Amino acid sequence: MAIKYLDKYPKNLAKSLWVMKPFVVVGKLFWKNIFHRPVTVLYPYEKEWIPDNYRGRPGLRFDKCVGCGMCVRMCPTACIKLIEVADDEGKPVMRPQVNLGRCAMCGYCAEYCPLDAMTVTPEYELAEYTRYDLLYGPRRLHYEGTTEEMEVKLEVTLPSDIENGNPERRVSLFDIDRPELIDNKCIGCKKCAKVCPVDAIEMVEKGVNDKGKPILRPVIDNSKCICCSNCVLDCPKDALQIKEVL
Amino acid sequence: MGHILDWIVYKDTMANVYTPFESYNLPYDIGCKLWEIIGGTLAWLIDLIFPGNVVSEWLVSDAVTTLLGLIVFMLLIFIVAFVSTLIVLWEERKVLGRMMDRRGTMVGMKGFLQCVADGLKTFQKENTIPAKVDKMTYMWTVTLVIGVSVLVLCMVPLSSRWYVVDYDTGLLIIMAFFALAPFFILVSGWAQNNKYSMIGGMRAAELMISYEAPMLILITTSALLAGSFNINDIVYAQMDSVWYIIPQVIGAITFFTCAVAEAERVPFDIAEAEAELVEGWQTEYAGMKWGLVMLADYMRGSVSCSMFVILFLGGWTLPFIGDGPIPEIVFLLKAYIVFFFMSYARAALARVRTDQILNLGWKVFLPLSIFNLAVVILLKVGGVF
Repeated sequence: MAIKYLDKYPKNLAKSLWVMKPFVVVGKLFWKNIFHRPVTVLYPYEKEWIPDNYRGRPGLRFDKCVGCGMCVRMCPTACIKLIEVADDEGKPVMRPQVNLGRCAMCGYCAEYCPLDAMTVTPEYELAEYTRYDLLYGPRRLHYEGTTEEMEVKLEVTLPSDIENGNPERRVSLFDIDRPELIDNKCIGCKKCAKVCPVDAIEMVEKGVNDKGKPILRPVIDNSKCICCSNCVLDCPKDALQIKEVL
Repeated sequence: MGHILDWIVYKDTMANVYTPFESYNLPYDIGCKLWEIIGGTLAWLIDLIFPGNVVSEWLVSDAVTTLLGLIVFMLLIFIVAFVSTLIVLWEERKVLGRMMDRRGTMVGMKGFLQCVADGLKTFQKENTIPAKVDKMTYMWTVTLVIGVSVLVLCMVPLSSRWYVVDYDTGLLIIMAFFALAPFFILVSGWAQNNKYSMIGGMRAAELMISYEAPMLILITTSALLAGSFNINDIVYAQMDSVWYIIPQVIGAITFFTCAVAEAERVPFDIAEAEAELVEGWQTEYAGMKWGLVMLADYMRGSVSCSMFVILFLGGWTLPFIGDGPIPEIVFLLKAYIVFFFMSYARAALARVRTDQILNLGWKVFLPLSIFNLAVVILLKVGGVF
């Protein structure tokens, strides 16, 4: 019994020298760490390097925003809401307000914003004392020092494209889509013209109907249109649809 | 009316009849000089008011100077030992941090004040004693473990002028006190009425029987090489020939491993294996008791390193230089370098099993130490040393 138990131990003591292996590993790490900084970062005092397009809290460039509501529709956590605020001239306009208690910092709002008014910011220390303080209004969302890199483009470039020698970047492809009118469905209610945030839709008279009333049809100014699809969504008769530009 | 310098004359301590030391002792000398400044000033002031009184003469007499000098001597010896232990603690935390790719302690003075902060924290903890422990042994054993560790730490001489005892058997006394703690740990483990503590205490005893025999053989080997058990003689014998790590490399490595086991540090910390037994034999100790036990652990580690330095690395002497201006610093630096390797072993290795340490002790260390003894005897007979 005792002999069987002792068989577990190597007869050749030189085989026990595997013990030196962890010493070598630890020694290498120690040698490295004498000359380089340890990986630990003393967080409140020093911060890690963050890239320019770091997805911190969303930021808003108030003047660029037109209040199209694209961010509201795209937000996966439904934390954005359009609220009415006074712009620089005192006129009431609709601008997004972000509830950072819900925000997942995914950056979709900045990605889908057709005017790149919504950006990501490198701010991530967002603790507040009350939940109410977590509501970031349009003016508070403004981030001092917004740079070009903080705009997030909707990237459609595929890795396979680049691998196959086609490295041209295709960004914001959906922005060149335009709404298209299905004429026989339209009832000329002018709703599309009302909801258009950039006033790209103009109601034009196209003859008169049987009762002698003017027939109104929307005419879309493609140069002004930002493809926010508000008109498509609000059309009561589904007379507008987005035509994909391929 | 006398001048103040009539009272402060910095008498030679060796001329003092009450001096308990046979050779020059630096901390005692500092204590005596300090008392001459304080007591001499007091005596001078009293003499200004009451000229020619007895009290002034008594304050600067040999007996009072010796008494106060001894008190300062004790304080100095303890404080230096204590601070060097704290430095050891700090060194381990920093070195372990670097070996684990982190920073170690960061509070004040490159992290040194973290040790002080931890001490203060454990002081503030509630001092709980479990209901069903054997209170007397519970308190006495932990007191003895800590006390013996502090005693051994204070008894380690830092140089030929910084010592507590200078007996011919100084090495044996230190090793005897050093080996006492496992007995108290065993009793303490029983007294705590806790299965983890009990197992921890048993393991401490088991650990001791496996490393103590080769360790004692190695100590006697070094003493044999030097021809004395006196620490001073061993150190100066190394200065005259070579550091004993050169003739007994195998012995040095074995002694180092045994010293790690003696200090109950990783990889031989089976008595307080955190992963298996909650805190081993320290499980039921709360608050400052636990803090002091931890400090005692590091004191024992520090003593282990000091013993290694004395036996193998030439103590406080440097080759070709000898004592140098501040031999105490040289000694402590050597001890810290040895402790670095202890931390290295702690970072690199995992804890051994209880049966592995017995196998190591009796089947590896003991033959190696006896082989080392044979080599040393050959060298001694051959007339090399």
